[in-house]
Amino acid sequence: MLQKREKVLLLRTFQGRTLRIVREHYLRPCVPCHSPLCPQPAACSHDGKLLSSDVTHYVIPDWKVVQDYLEILEFPELKGIIFMQTACQAVQHQRGRRQYNKLRNLLKDARHDCILFANEFQQCCYLPRERGESMEKWQTRSIYNAAVWYYHHCQDRMPIVMVTEDEEAIQQYGSETEGVFVITFKNYLDNFWPDLKAAHELCDSILQSRRERENESQESHGKEYPEHLPLEVLEAGIKSGRYIQGILNVNKHRAQIEAFVRLQGASSKDSDLVSDILIHGMKARNRSIHGDVVVVELLPKNEWKGRTVALCENDCDDKASGESPSEPMPTGRVVGILQKNWRDYVVTFPSKEEVQSQGKNAQKILVTPWDYRIPKIRISTQQAETLQDFRVVVRIDSWESTSVYPNGHFMCEMPVNTPESPWKVSPEEEQKRKDLRKSHLVFSIDPKGCEDVDDTLSVRTLNNGNLELGVHIADVTHFVAPNSYIDIEARTRATTYYLADRRYDMLPSVLSADLCSLLGGVDRYAVSIMWELDKASYEIKKVWYGRTIIRSAYKLFYEAAQELLDGNLSVVDDIPEFKDLDEKSRQAKLEELVWAIGKLTDIARHVRAKRDGCGALELEGVEVCVQLDDKKNIHDLIPKQPLEVHETVAECMILANHWVAKKIWESFPHQALLRQHPPPHQEFFSELRECAKAKGFFIDTRSNKTLADSLDNANDPHDPIVNRLLRSMATQAMSNALYFSTGSCAEEEFHHYGLALDKYTHFTSPIRRYSDIVVHRLLMAAISKDKKMEIKGNLFSNKDLEELCRHINNRNQAAQHSQKQSTELFQCMYFKDKDPATEERCISDGVIYSIRTNGVLLFIPRFGIKGAAYLKNKDGLVISCGPDSCSEWKPGSLQRFQNKITSTTTDGESVTFHLFDHVTVRISIQASRCHSDTIRLEIISNKPYKIPNTELIHQSSPLLKSELVKEVTKSVEEAQLAQEVKVNIIQEEYQEYRQTKGRSLYTLLEEIRDLALLDVSNNYGI
Amino acid sequence: MAGLELLSDQGYRVDGRRAGELRKIQARMGVFAQADGSAYIEQGNTKALAVVYGPHEIRGSRARALPDRALVNCQYSSATFSTGERKRRPHGDRKSCEMGLQLRQTFEAAILTQLHPRSQIDIYVLQADGGTYAACVNAATLAVLDAGIPMRDFVCACSAGFVDGTALADLSHVEEAAGGPQLALALLPASGQIALLEMDARLHEDHLERVLEAAAQAARDVHTLLDRVVRQHVREASILLGD
Repeated sequence: MLQKREKVLLLRTFQGRTLRIVREHYLRPCVPCHSPLCPQPAACSHDGKLLSSDVTHYVIPDWKVVQDYLEILEFPELKGIIFMQTACQAVQHQRGRRQYNKLRNLLKDARHDCILFANEFQQCCYLPRERGESMEKWQTRSIYNAAVWYYHHCQDRMPIVMVTEDEEAIQQYGSETEGVFVITFKNYLDNFWPDLKAAHELCDSILQSRRERENESQESHGKEYPEHLPLEVLEAGIKSGRYIQGILNVNKHRAQIEAFVRLQGASSKDSDLVSDILIHGMKARNRSIHGDVVVVELLPKNEWKGRTVALCENDCDDKASGESPSEPMPTGRVVGILQKNWRDYVVTFPSKEEVQSQGKNAQKILVTPWDYRIPKIRISTQQAETLQDFRVVVRIDSWESTSVYPNGHFMCEMPVNTPESPWKVSPEEEQKRKDLRKSHLVFSIDPKGCEDVDDTLSVRTLNNGNLELGVHIADVTHFVAPNSYIDIEARTRATTYYLADRRYDMLPSVLSADLCSLLGGVDRYAVSIMWELDKASYEIKKVWYGRTIIRSAYKLFYEAAQELLDGNLSVVDDIPEFKDLDEKSRQAKLEELVWAIGKLTDIARHVRAKRDGCGALELEGVEVCVQLDDKKNIHDLIPKQPLEVHETVAECMILANHWVAKKIWESFPHQALLRQHPPPHQEFFSELRECAKAKGFFIDTRSNKTLADSLDNANDPHDPIVNRLLRSMATQAMSNALYFSTGSCAEEEFHHYGLALDKYTHFTSPIRRYSDIVVHRLLMAAISKDKKMEIKGNLFSNKDLEELCRHINNRNQAAQHSQKQSTELFQCMYFKDKDPATEERCISDGVIYSIRTNGVLLFIPRFGIKGAAYLKNKDGLVISCGPDSCSEWKPGSLQRFQNKITSTTTDGESVTFHLFDHVTVRISIQASRCHSDTIRLEIISNKPYKIPNTELIHQSSPLLKSELVKEVTKSVEEAQLAQEVKVNIIQEEYQEYRQTKGRSLYTLLEEIRDLALLDVSNNYGI
Repeated sequence: MAGLELLSDQGYRVDGRRAGELRKIQARMGVFAQADGSAYIEQGNTKALAVVYGPHEIRGSRARALPDRALVNCQYSSATFSTGERKRRPHGDRKSCEMGLQLRQTFEAAILTQLHPRSQIDIYVLQADGGTYAACVNAATLAVLDAGIPMRDFVCACSAGFVDGTALADLSHVEEAAGGPQLALALLPASGQIALLEMDARLHEDHLERVLEAAAQAARDVHTLLDRVVRQHVREASILLGD
């Protein structure tokens, strides 16, 4: 039965009047105590975690200890912690949301042995606040009272230690109850955890920074900054218009001197200020940090300054530069801070020499934040030398008016994995996970030199004759806790950027290339999906999702796997895993591996065939591989050779993604992250249809199935390039595939057009995509939901997820854009220092894929380059080809038809270029000072260029059919970038001018303009 | 300072209740001698007083009389001292008018109006913290019962809200002020019929059923309590009458 109490709160309203509010407060006899020693477990109705039973004592931190030493309480070594509700509320009300969420996550974390006891709702523990009693005193009294109750509740069987910083409380309560000890936190650490060095260091760091803060507030001399005005004065000042409220924005390039205050709506309405207010110098900024909500007083007009226009290095301090500043603008100084936006900052320690120059105050060290806009932070630590090469996270504690720099203490360093302390599988995890190390042959297939292996495969025959196919994905979420620093950083990066010669990782390399990467021969955690397939029909009978431990036996690369698949066993020497084996075991193991690869390919073919039946598209994107030699010189450009193994791996991944998508959608219909690929707009296909007509093919674009079929039929037996080109045009017409949250779309819109699947997501590359991390967490939650377990980890709500999807989509697009530009750059660099006249490589075979009024667009299969070639040069001369088919420039005219273009010279010679004709082109580089260099193509002959290269293309042509589907959507997005801009403009015009959707005169004129090739160097990108 | 947490991770609300628990309800019938029926109810800190007059002949314009049933006339007013900021006038503002209209609809559905054609029943409600509508309905039910006017059933009302995927029954003022969706439900508990259902915030369709169920369960709990109050009252009255 509940008991009702009333709490009286006195609040102050905005007008300054006191308001008396009566709130109800209900007490109950039984509140879950979460202790295994509880005498009436039924009455306490425990759900969730219990304290472990092997501790020697329970520790109850005081509200002050929870506020100040939370980082130490986070240590996993400290066990049996009981957080009282009173203490948690103190954190909630007096500290920021960030710290409170940290506490909440700690309480939810099953690994950490701590619980929350709702003492204020327990009828024996609740103490009303007495008249005139200070909040702090009451909180301490409540916590102590609850501690005593708890001790008696456990029938005096477990001693309880209450840690507090309040000397008075120690005096008062220290010997009041037997079995409940009250000591200081420092004392507690010394007595109970003498060996926990890290905790001691952290504690010292916090203590010291606090002591200094107190000392400094006593010293009144030597003030560096004027004091902030009290809040009432500020509020009154804002009301009267004397002060202005705004958000401080520090100029990134002149962080020491310039900052601007952006006005906030309400305050700007009476003052007639339109621009931002300049805050000049650190003194005027008065201890506010980028992002704070500050109150500003305007300076008299004669003191106004202009913003500096000249460039300057960030390091130079407050020195006035000789450059004349621009026109004076409103200038002010900060008189108070309404809301502090202090976060945790990543900082770097100064080098040794600098530390010595700061020597006078050896224990305090000035560290430099990564962000230019944040001032240097002073922290107290004895470990400056050992932390030299680390980047640490620092939290700002205070900034007194007597100090030039803010004080802070450091929080954590990045996880380190050194050879001295190798990472091991922990026995706890071993119990929770399914162990596949002995039972399954697991291997990975990746490009050569790949470090971040996130997917591995396995296949085996079960006892009942059925097959078991397994896809094992790196368990990144095990290492990256939600809302940890790594997680937040990864979320902002969203994806790993692969450029032609380097990559920028999403996760720190300790994880991406080591702990998470499923390398050969080492134990790793994985998330696995295993299907049981029928032995004959390969129909899926059962599916299992779960966490596993695997040991990848082989780390193969695509080419080797393909050779093995083709039965060419000579590549064995290239596989390091086989090197140290004797002949016999080698033979046996090889057979096993070859069987597995063969079987996988078989399964993949079946799965693919089924998807093809539904209309999956096979598209074409040109991808070029840049080969670098040791000195980082560009060695060669090689178009990616599609192999059947590519398709096998991709198919398994698509299958895994598809099944995971189904699973998470079923479990979380409103907050699952899926990937959609909307059907394309029909009008984009017109170019494709026109081109195909030239060769006599008909392309039916009504659905993905008809498109796939007609693309398959559009095959010229003499020229495989035609089919590739048509496919790449189809690719360009596609829309972008996007991530979305299932709560924000109708179910019909989930469909993936390119893969012809009703639900699809990204699950298989958590090391390099953040979306996969989110999906992993969803899947784990879905599994625990199935088992009726409590869902750990906070999942995103639909709204947050939608926001996140938008962010990831943007980052992905940016990544693809930069990848494309990087490839273009390398293409240019490759040709840059080669003399086009002499170098053999600069002459190549090209195919015409589009015709314009004064030139043609060419595709060069050898290098995967697309570009324009003019038939009429700037002097008005046109191209002509003599009997030896070499071209020269002569006066004449051009005539353009639907599928061909004819160049007629004045002396009657004429040459015609048809669509899909092969010509010989010379590739050169057009240098540009303001823009990037571009590739320039010149037709030097209207005959195909015959070199062994063409053979290579023919050879690979049968394989072209099995182009990687995995890459399809990627290249779609890539190709789509240019297209999309155009579409947007057209759609905007529809909206703005209500244009008719039909063929208006305007679009006709636009098209004509399009047809003419303008001589702007980068205008032929479509 | 972090924001107010309406529902903690341990499942407690701000005032210490769990999601489905009601506030403390205390009620008394027959508080005024002059009126035909009267009742006083406390739901947590919300206090409501209801008086009923009638059935009597139509006062004022005769044209308002209905040929086949009784006219139910409801007026709601809240004391000027009942809110944190003092109110200007006790009744006649739009909010009170709306509340009066809703009460009228509720009781037209519950009172067997066809038994008293051409007559009028007046229900006046005086009110003080969250869940005003529910408290008014519950008070008025008791008052109507006290007046001896035949009804189909008790009308029991309760509000419910929705926070972080959990439905909360019987919202307090703090929870109402937080701005989440709030649903008011008046139920005839015996038949399970709904006399009035009102919600003016956005709530996803999939959650509606759960919130509705929470409100209905709370209304059934209210019914048990009111029933107990009525029985108690009848017992006391019969003792006084010397039966």
